[in-house]
Amino acid sequence: MRVENKSPTFKVASAIFNLLNPVPFGLFVAVMIFDFIYANTGEVLWVKSAAWLVSLGLIFAIVPRLINLGFVWFGKNRTAPAVKLDFWLNLVAVVTALVNAFVHSRDAYAAIPDALWLSIATVALMAIGRVVLAWQNIGFKEFGHE
Amino acid sequence: MNKNKHGLLSVLGAAVVSSLVLSGCDNGAKLDISRQIGANPSMPSAQNFLMPPMQVPAGVGWKDGQAPKVVSGLNIEKIASGLLHPRQVLALPNGDILVVESNGPGQEAVTTPKQVIAGIVKGRSGKGGKGGNRITLLRKKEGTAGEWEKHVFLENLHSPFGVQLIGDTLYVANTGNIMKYHYTPGDTKISDPGTELADLPDTVNHHWTKALVASPDGKKLYVGVGSNSNIAENSLAVEYRRAAVLEVDVESGASRIFASGIRNPTGLQFEPKSGKLWTIVNERDEIGADLVPDYMTSVQDHGFYGWPYSYYGQNVDTRVKQQRPDLVAKAIKPDFALGSHVAALGLWFYNGNNLPEKYRGGAFVSEHGSWDRTPLSGYQVVYVPFENGKPSGPVEPIVTGFHSADEKNLYGAPVGLAQDAQGALLIADDVGNVIWRVSAAKQ
Repeated sequence: MRVENKSPTFKVASAIFNLLNPVPFGLFVAVMIFDFIYANTGEVLWVKSAAWLVSLGLIFAIVPRLINLGFVWFGKNRTAPAVKLDFWLNLVAVVTALVNAFVHSRDAYAAIPDALWLSIATVALMAIGRVVLAWQNIGFKEFGHE
Repeated sequence: MNKNKHGLLSVLGAAVVSSLVLSGCDNGAKLDISRQIGANPSMPSAQNFLMPPMQVPAGVGWKDGQAPKVVSGLNIEKIASGLLHPRQVLALPNGDILVVESNGPGQEAVTTPKQVIAGIVKGRSGKGGKGGNRITLLRKKEGTAGEWEKHVFLENLHSPFGVQLIGDTLYVANTGNIMKYHYTPGDTKISDPGTELADLPDTVNHHWTKALVASPDGKKLYVGVGSNSNIAENSLAVEYRRAAVLEVDVESGASRIFASGIRNPTGLQFEPKSGKLWTIVNERDEIGADLVPDYMTSVQDHGFYGWPYSYYGQNVDTRVKQQRPDLVAKAIKPDFALGSHVAALGLWFYNGNNLPEKYRGGAFVSEHGSWDRTPLSGYQVVYVPFENGKPSGPVEPIVTGFHSADEKNLYGAPVGLAQDAQGALLIADDVGNVIWRVSAAKQ
């Protein structure tokens, strides 16, 4: 049963979460595409761009991940298992993206193949989290009051 | 709920601990540096890192009365201080000394997040200090000890480095061209705007220094042009005429590539016995604290020395995507390794007779010091004995003590070398902003 949460804090946090949460996912997908192109062409434009994207993705991930942490573990009500699974998948994804940012600091082709595997792993983990939530018919907004 | 929170905290804790373990991996040097000095240096296998070994002492400068250490039998004195990042020294025939005060033009665009971090690290060491873009003339005060007279000699230069005098013409290698000026002995200032002899590669200017030496007959100038990257990570398109020694005809200004594949040739000199051109070279970074040794080598006309495809002969660098086995096959193995990451920036074949007998006939090399190695390497001036035009014996550190014993503080860092009219060795120090003079100790 869902309880309507009307607290202003929740609404603000929920809005910020919904605005920022998709950004890292999109950036990490772009990293994966750019790494794939670089691995195949060796044109440094792609790997340099990917280095920026993975760093930006991590910065954009900070706030929504903290909000998610609060909702999932410190909310007033019971949290569904799918929501917890999504939390863990995202946490591991952020760790792989962080390692990936360091790998992208290597010069030229030294980033390959590690960078490509890490960006695929990051995207896969985040994507599975999203699918799991969708399967359970849980929208982003409902994290906190499930 | 409580159980959940516990689980969460322990997993987060594990993540923090494992990331610390990861970053704390021992990336330090495994080889004693002496095994990488000489004609056949040890070559461990290349590594890739999450964070390359990085250790940079904080630039603090020299205190009053503090000076580098010299070996016994030698004396060191400060002949100029308060300079603006002195990089090169040239002794003029009348005993005056020219000091080139310079630093990079700062034109390299920030194209990776890493460059942002690297800029901060370099700034800390004092090696990023602002250059004077000028040449200062030093003249000994007659009959008095202490610092020499300072005259601003030539201004409004653009990241100058190499300077040479042929007859009555002074050649200055800015980062983008070679300028020539008429010089009259005894002058303390040149005010004529000069004329351009030749242009030099000046896009990006990742390695911006243009080392310069005149051939003994005064007909050619040789220019050391560094690569535009560590290992071609800025694409090969910006490496045209780079990582090369160029030969410039003094009469016409026409130039050609004399030798290539030399990552960063920062000092050029003619070896007096053999008459051959020699260079000191800064090799690539970030594949280990023990790779790749910087080196000195004779430079062969049309020779190819490996960069970026291979190092120290045929050791292939896999960081370059477009491999060129045809070029690797003809890469020349350098003559003499100086040690990994020492950053050799000054070369001088000593032909005077002030210094003790054992320091005659060989080469002094100044090592500006490492950033990509733990423990530090370089930060000293060494002597490489020569016999029959080739390095012949153990390398001896002559001037040391540029950093504190705990490797935390940096007082100075040696760059350009020259020999004054009395046969003393001059050392430009671009962190201490000082010119040092090393001579035989009075008996």
